[in-house]
Amino acid sequence: MVYSTELLKGTLKTIVLKLLVDNKKMYGYEITQTVKELTQDKIQITEGALYPTLHSLEADGLVTTELEYIGKRVRKYYSLNLAGKAKAKEKVNELASFVQTMTLLLDLKSKTI
Amino acid sequence: MATLTDDQVDYIIEDVRAHGIRLQGLQDNLVDHICILVEERLDEGEEFEQLYASIVPSFYKHELYELEEEALFLAEFKGPHLVLSRGQFFKGLFTIVGSPYVIYYLHWWFVSRPTGDFRDNMDVLSACMVFALFPLLTTVVLFLTPDRFDPLIPWRSKVLLGFRPLIRVLPAPAIG
Repeated sequence: MVYSTELLKGTLKTIVLKLLVDNKKMYGYEITQTVKELTQDKIQITEGALYPTLHSLEADGLVTTELEYIGKRVRKYYSLNLAGKAKAKEKVNELASFVQTMTLLLDLKSKTI
Repeated sequence: MATLTDDQVDYIIEDVRAHGIRLQGLQDNLVDHICILVEERLDEGEEFEQLYASIVPSFYKHELYELEEEALFLAEFKGPHLVLSRGQFFKGLFTIVGSPYVIYYLHWWFVSRPTGDFRDNMDVLSACMVFALFPLLTTVVLFLTPDRFDPLIPWRSKVLLGFRPLIRVLPAPAIG
């Protein structure tokens, strides 16, 4: 089962921040592949959603970037700065609390057992 | 894995630019991502142009520049803001421009009319007419010729009102 875009929309920033916590620096394609592998293809981040989010994280001053030149093309690596690490913690905690609330609200424990 | 030639990379860069991606960082990211996807499949013996043409449309719903619109939207709108449809925006605009007339007319109707003294209220109404006449006429012309909205605010687009910037029109796909 591949999760719908609507379901993922509010969590993309959190996913990216958490990946950057776990991996020192990452570039766009690497992020999409890592998410695919970790979720066994259940979550597929589209380029149309990922790159605007990365741009927004940069504009918010949460990530630092590093450029690598590969011939004529440029690979942009993203890594978290201190503010980004704090934000990642905040977003992950918020999402964990949300999941807990949804589990209670939808009575998911009894349904999955 | 196959590696793209400089000419092929240039082709991708030019095409991405030509499709409205002007932010350098976003352009670099997209070009690199497209190059990787093309290189992965070049090994399978497909032609570069065909591969490129089949890969790029998966990045967007209608046009590639949607990504730039979305990036700008996410980066710019930090504070509180309102997202309005085209209809809501113009209703709001007509209300702002037309409401002084309605208010002063109602004021005259309920307060001055019983005494028959319409003159004091007319002074205010006249001033209101003079200062609001041009925007009122403009909005009436726009209202009576809906096609004129399109170059300004195309169908299905959203109008965002905030602080920085104050107003921005975005195509619908950019904000889902």
